[in-house]
Amino acid sequence: MESFVNYWLTSPFLTRYMNYYPWAWPLAEISHFAGLILLIGGVGIFDLRLLGVAKGLPVAAVRRLLPWGVFGFVLCVASGLCFVLGLNANLPNRVYDVLTTDIWLDLKLLFIFLAGINLAVFYLTGMSRAVDGLGPGDDAPPLAKVIAGTSLFLWLAVIYVGRLIPWGI
Amino acid sequence: MWQLLESLENSGYAIWLRESPSVLAYATVLAAHALGMAILVGLSAMIALRLVGFAPRLPLAPLERFYPLIWVGFGVNAVSGLVLLSLNPTKFFASPTFYIKMIGIAVAIVSVKLLRTSVFGHPAGLDRMPVPMKGKVLAGTMLASWGVAIVAGRLTAYRFFTEWRTVLAVLTLTVLLVAGYKAARRLGLSTKATGQGRATPSSGF
Repeated sequence: MESFVNYWLTSPFLTRYMNYYPWAWPLAEISHFAGLILLIGGVGIFDLRLLGVAKGLPVAAVRRLLPWGVFGFVLCVASGLCFVLGLNANLPNRVYDVLTTDIWLDLKLLFIFLAGINLAVFYLTGMSRAVDGLGPGDDAPPLAKVIAGTSLFLWLAVIYVGRLIPWGI
Repeated sequence: MWQLLESLENSGYAIWLRESPSVLAYATVLAAHALGMAILVGLSAMIALRLVGFAPRLPLAPLERFYPLIWVGFGVNAVSGLVLLSLNPTKFFASPTFYIKMIGIAVAIVSVKLLRTSVFGHPAGLDRMPVPMKGKVLAGTMLASWGVAIVAGRLTAYRFFTEWRTVLAVLTLTVLLVAGYKAARRLGLSTKATGQGRATPSSGF
């Protein structure tokens, strides 16, 4: 297991490249920040509307901001993979050791996983379709509000524990 | 003045907050700075993106309701930023990059404020006519200044040699992403949303 993880989650190519170009690591960090901003901006406004902030917005129109949230998530996954696969450009630790000992990284991955489950619940319970018909001033169903609140909490928690990762290594 | 900053940097408070192994010390102040940024920049950038032409069917007037939250994010970052500054004042005040970050934030915050008075100040006709030019310019200025502030903010942790190379890399990546987006549009992979002004309900992206 240990050698399997270290083999598949380490990219010698990426490590060499991130070592060689001094801009590679900070570029990944900046992309990670830009990504989390777009994620919280797009997904956050959608969640807040369902929770009742800015009720004058029709939900179907707010959905048009979600592609920005998805783009932000993709930016974060891409840059996040650079941190993991190219870890040795910055630290001597093995990926397996970090994954098994860093409580903050584990919590972050758990929260992202739960956010995914939450999103699946949003679609599978029919809430996604139900909220689409909400016009200006309409109140979201209680279940949709619970899902929106959970999403908001989880993504903010991802940022909080994510920033703690260096303290857990 | 510099001696005052040095004594602040070497005070028991600063040393404890910097060097405490507890994640509730330095790490949590850094995390608060990231959370405040996500709220402040996330919400204001979405409003700016709407104003420069994305999601044109999204009504503008109700977006003003996000302003109190935007100021909460700003408050969190002003406080956490001052704490972080107090831990290493001689480093930051000697860094040109730090001043660039401050200018970026100042310009962005002024744009956010001016947008509220110039665009959201007249809610009645807001969603019946195209976004005024002034609103578009302010929104574009805000997005660019947030970009400057975030890039400069991250780069205060690096040496000058790394800094300007990273700026070039960020600009290159931005150009590539914009070109990729335009190419995808041209190939019809993404539908061009048309129709300025009036909000009409629609489904899908």
